[in-house]
Amino acid sequence: MTLEIIEINAERSYPPRTSKFNKPFWDALSQGRLMTTACKKCKKLTFPPKTACPHCWSTDVEWSSLSERGTLYSWTRIHAAPAAFASEAPYSVGIVDLECGIRLACQLVAPDDLLLYPGLPVQMVVLSYKDGPLFAARVLSAE
Amino acid sequence: MSRNVAIIGANAIPVGRHQTADDAEIQVLEHEIMTRVIIDAVNDAGVEKRDIDSLVFTLPRPYTRQKYFHTFLMGQLRLACKGNVMEVMGNGMTASLAFDQACNDIMLGRADVALALGINMESAVSAAEHMMSSMRTTGDVDFHTSAGFTPISWYAMDATRYMHEYGATREQLASVAVKNRFHASLNPLAQYRKPITLDEVMAQRPIVEPLGLFDVPPRGDGAACLVLASEDVAKSLGKPYVLVRGRGFYHDGSHQISDVPNNMIAFESVRLASAAAYAQAGIGPEQVDLAEIYAPCTIVEILVSEAIGLVPEGQGARAAMDGETRLGGRIPISTSGGLMSRGHPAYVTSLYSYVEMADQLRGRADERQVNNARYGLTSGELGNYNAALVHILEAAQ
Repeated sequence: MTLEIIEINAERSYPPRTSKFNKPFWDALSQGRLMTTACKKCKKLTFPPKTACPHCWSTDVEWSSLSERGTLYSWTRIHAAPAAFASEAPYSVGIVDLECGIRLACQLVAPDDLLLYPGLPVQMVVLSYKDGPLFAARVLSAE
Repeated sequence: MSRNVAIIGANAIPVGRHQTADDAEIQVLEHEIMTRVIIDAVNDAGVEKRDIDSLVFTLPRPYTRQKYFHTFLMGQLRLACKGNVMEVMGNGMTASLAFDQACNDIMLGRADVALALGINMESAVSAAEHMMSSMRTTGDVDFHTSAGFTPISWYAMDATRYMHEYGATREQLASVAVKNRFHASLNPLAQYRKPITLDEVMAQRPIVEPLGLFDVPPRGDGAACLVLASEDVAKSLGKPYVLVRGRGFYHDGSHQISDVPNNMIAFESVRLASAAAYAQAGIGPEQVDLAEIYAPCTIVEILVSEAIGLVPEGQGARAAMDGETRLGGRIPISTSGGLMSRGHPAYVTSLYSYVEMADQLRGRADERQVNNARYGLTSGELGNYNAALVHILEAAQ
């Protein structure tokens, strides 16, 4: 199963860098899969992906999938934006707790009329810009 | 080898918009301000140029044209030293670290008199441009900055979560800004001194929801110098001084956000740092008479007031609204006006906290004097209070 890919007719405002190590993350994301590193020794996931396990410091890590669904822990709408993001403002960002136990922060995708608050379910999505992908969370209505 | 450290002198310029634009015909030069602040602080202390052994500067902003500013100043003042001359850097904690390092030199016996000082000039650079740099400081520059997170957006998410968990209201948060503006109205060093009402705070445009313009810090420039000394030197001067009684530090091993879900608004680092500082000082939070908290937003002051034990968990917003943290209240917080109204020249911000403590604990705070103030607490931080540095200070004669 892959994530919804939302086409964006623009370039990313502040593109992330690709390294030899993190390239599999961005390559997978552009194909609708949200990956990270897992420690082969202590089995823990971490995000963003890291060359060493931050928990046990093992350097034996492998790529693993993150869960696609989670819960909104908190959010804000940014009105005062850095110059590079001025054309996007206001935009919403949030902190998401994924079902797999990983917490991450990303842009939010939500209908304008949806009142956002902690505890709402989210579904991870891919924002496919002309120059590459970003990950984001679509906020869903309360169930 | 360890000795008591005292604050014996202080000086600062009013926080404000001092920096000139690049094309201004007449420029404001940092070293011209800083030399005067140093001389006034040393005169306030009552020591001599030759007594100074160490100078710990805060790193200037990249907008300051003069590089190696600290050693340039040594030349401006023909100041020879045997202890240390350095610039320190630690984002929002920079000024706390400068103070801490100056204390270290005295405790280690490397200095009998040490200065903690610096200048921060940035206000002529627009907020949108400045954020192009500051957005790279708070989080992962590839995985977070690409989404447009800004430093105060993280605090805004603290506010959202706090309101969700405790039912706190926007008005309660806003009351912190009203209270701090009142304090600033009594502080000649404050950037914004005209009192404001709750309605005015509520009516401001949103910056990072739910926080509006008066819930977040203004841009500003500042310069300050603290004169520290061994207690023996302080006693010999025959004037009131301030003793550093306790110090605590903690870094929680995360940067902005923990990928292992935690209680983000518990501000664990400042809870642990303050616990260590209280233990060293041999006091508890109930003995603290006032606190100068590094709180860039209204919500941050609330969360820190709880984490350091001055207000019960979940009660910080209510306590602010009820006037408990106002001058004359149960536990006055940010009597200088805090970061929102006294101002927030970031790399020297905490120097202004110690300046306020030097005034309050030497009985020189005039209209904003906390009566019989004996113990004061200061805090500095990194990230979303992922790290904290706390000092407990005591009035001494």
